[in-house]
Amino acid sequence: MTAVALAGTLMVVLMAAGCLGSQPSGSPASPPQQITATGSTTVLPIAEKAREAFEDLYPSTSVLVSGGGSSVGVRAVGEGTADIGMSSRDLKPEETGMYPGLVTHHIADDAVILIVHPENSIESLTLDQVRGIYNGTYTNWNQVGGPDLDIVVVSRDSASGTREFFAEYVMNKEDFTKNQEEFNSNGGVQQKVSQTPGAIGYVGLGYTDGVKPLKVVVNGDPIEPTLENITSKRYPITRPLYMLTNGEPGGAVKEFLDFIMSEEGQQIVASADYIPVQG
Amino acid sequence: MKREEATAVQSGYPGWPGHSWRGPEAPFARRNRHLTDLIVGKLLFIVAVLAILVVFFIIGFLLRDGYQIVLETGIWNFLGGVDWNPAGSPPSFGILPLIVGTILVTALAMAIAVPLSMATAIYIAEIAGPGTKAVVKPAVELLAGIPSVVYGFFGLILLTDWIRILFDRPSGSSWLAGSILLAIMAIPTITSVAEDALSSVPREFREGSLALGATRWQTIRSVIVPGAVSGISAAVILGMGRAIGETMAVLMVTGNAAVIPDPITNVFSPVRTLTGTLGIEMGEVAFGSLHYHALFGVAVVLLAITLAVNGLSRLIIRRMQRTPARSRAPGPLMQAVHGLIPLSLPHRARRRIIHPKTTQKFAFLLISMGVVIVLAALGVILLEIIVKGAGAISLEFLTAPPSDLGRAGGIFPAIVGTLYLVAGALAVALPLGIATAIYLIEYTADTRLTRGIRAAVDLLNGTPSIVFGLFGFAFLVLFLNFGVSLIAGQITLGLMVLPTIIRTTEESLRSIPKSLREGSYALGASKWQTVWRVVLPPALPGIITGAILSIGRAAGETAPIMFTAAVFSSRYLPSSLFEPVMSLPYHLFILTTSVAGADDQKFGTALVLLMMVLSIYLIAILVRHRYNRATVV
Repeated sequence: MTAVALAGTLMVVLMAAGCLGSQPSGSPASPPQQITATGSTTVLPIAEKAREAFEDLYPSTSVLVSGGGSSVGVRAVGEGTADIGMSSRDLKPEETGMYPGLVTHHIADDAVILIVHPENSIESLTLDQVRGIYNGTYTNWNQVGGPDLDIVVVSRDSASGTREFFAEYVMNKEDFTKNQEEFNSNGGVQQKVSQTPGAIGYVGLGYTDGVKPLKVVVNGDPIEPTLENITSKRYPITRPLYMLTNGEPGGAVKEFLDFIMSEEGQQIVASADYIPVQG
Repeated sequence: MKREEATAVQSGYPGWPGHSWRGPEAPFARRNRHLTDLIVGKLLFIVAVLAILVVFFIIGFLLRDGYQIVLETGIWNFLGGVDWNPAGSPPSFGILPLIVGTILVTALAMAIAVPLSMATAIYIAEIAGPGTKAVVKPAVELLAGIPSVVYGFFGLILLTDWIRILFDRPSGSSWLAGSILLAIMAIPTITSVAEDALSSVPREFREGSLALGATRWQTIRSVIVPGAVSGISAAVILGMGRAIGETMAVLMVTGNAAVIPDPITNVFSPVRTLTGTLGIEMGEVAFGSLHYHALFGVAVVLLAITLAVNGLSRLIIRRMQRTPARSRAPGPLMQAVHGLIPLSLPHRARRRIIHPKTTQKFAFLLISMGVVIVLAALGVILLEIIVKGAGAISLEFLTAPPSDLGRAGGIFPAIVGTLYLVAGALAVALPLGIATAIYLIEYTADTRLTRGIRAAVDLLNGTPSIVFGLFGFAFLVLFLNFGVSLIAGQITLGLMVLPTIIRTTEESLRSIPKSLREGSYALGASKWQTVWRVVLPPALPGIITGAILSIGRAAGETAPIMFTAAVFSSRYLPSSLFEPVMSLPYHLFILTTSVAGADDQKFGTALVLLMMVLSIYLIAILVRHRYNRATVV
């Protein structure tokens, strides 16, 4: 009997820890008005940084941001479980068919950058060479002017918006080599490339710690992926990022989207390592 | 309607309620008890059948979304196709490489984990002194609480790099890396359940064997391990369930190239598992597309493999139980070996070759080596988290909400959110799980129904956590319209840990000697009184072990809450069950995969998560310890 009582005590302690946890003054319960935003992990940093500034401006509104992927975002806003969906790709025909009311808001641009291990002597590649590496034509760096080293091809998963963009823009829809390693995040690709001497990968702008970004040769001219070159579109590999609403937004959702498109909001976009679309 | 029911009750139980008040007091009490028994029995039955219902729900839901891929490509092209290229033009959906990858990674992982876990379990249960045992056992159990994201990150940063350098390969992401990581993850589960089974072998067996002059090793090998074989198999199945269903860690280290290793024994080849495919592609796939249906097809195949593995192991267990260890004839291989020894050593043909004491020394040496390997592997990971995480811990980190994408501020809302989620999951799973186990062990014999329930429980156990997440999203979030919310996450996590609780509770109920129950009945106690007052109390340590394993798992899982309950960050705490929450593993997952330059916070979050599991766990150890002391007669 004591044992049962003890088990009961354990349960009560757990429940107390969980359900009755006191709320310190620093973290009050949610304010009355809530907006939920979910979807692409590429767009998430923008939404997250904008949220912080927005909540300071509008204390009666809280914005709840979560990730999960572009498709989760499209589905969630289409089904009405979120107010804002975030997507790093255009809507698919299946999606516009299922949710005809979706409205896209182009909030920022992102660049896709080719990265290699810092000790790799290669400096630049043409888009044809990149395609050759990713379709399996080139398997050693010395075939594209680099050291004698096996190429380890690192890519994103086949459902990734980044990979889809890469497949269309760089690969011309050619198949990727079957031996490429696939990761489900920019961070994973960056980590892999930073510790594998022969690796090449592609990531968003913010993921260049510990790796070497490559210049891309356009018309015989190697273009470095600097903010300036990307904004002026001289650097060739850029793509749009979207927030989605079901129908035209109103109320707090509209206030939040307007805030992102404002001068302050677009500065936040730049500070999160993305390319502003206005100003 | 009411009257009809009342009549039915009356005719079913003559004398109640119309007559009982007239009769003497004792029969009244007895009838009352019978009624309690009946109601409790029915309630337990309903709860136990719930497990089957949940499985049917999940399968039905997976089939609903998955069957279209088979219509589109044909069953053989889907199962037997060697090309997985959903983004190609035209796309191809052949999952043979994924099936092969899953089998290879799991098989090698179990080949590594089972011997090491058995060595550790035997060491804890039979060899270690009480002082060592008091340290090693909780240490190993605690390690089940390290979140899989942390294992994955460790694997990605250290393990693959070591393999690359050690074996001089261009890349370390490989089948071998996946198997080693899964083995490390499965070891705590297998060890702690197997150890419980070994410890519950009655003392008389040991004493009898030793009294007959057997060495300790002979006793362990021929008496204790065979006596605990059912529990050990349960341990291996639980561990295998964790290995097959693991998503987050595997996809970070196997390279995910959809190729069949060439040759098939090439452990350095990158591979891709079924779960890995779900884990990396599900989040981004377009809802309703062919690729989406293909992924649900993958989930169905995954469940089918789990079912096959469970069926096979059940068959093996039954066969083992049917043949008592003593009468089992040496297998053909052993006979051959015995035949060979005299040939190779002709001058010693008639003499006993190795003294039992020597064998024992050798066996204990091997076991100690196994324990050292396990502790070293786990120690390295733990040290990594503690050393790198300690720098991030501060009062602000523990009490403030995050800012700047988690690069600054703290993780207070995530701590509270995780506590809410775990407490809710236990509130769902403990009553359901314990009730189901009581029903299975105490209320029925081995019928087709109980076998069905057990099969359903095993299947649930093998269901990958990401599938629970998808189920939770489709059923709780969308169908029941809970939205992304605390309650959806709690129920999803509760269902996920349900099989662990059922299995461990069952195992500990089974270890209660029959004589206790018979004694209770002989004293006139009813069934329910017997269960509640006689059987449950001594079974409690086992139930608590199950609850601990569940807390560890629920607190560390990312996949089930990713679509059902979690938000990336919030400066507020939820004020109702229908609001989403922050949680530590999800926070860690986002920091690891999507935020550059938050290394301190990442390891800090992992450390806090670990410490939280540790403190919940400490409470449980204290409870168990007190209980053990109180009942040793």
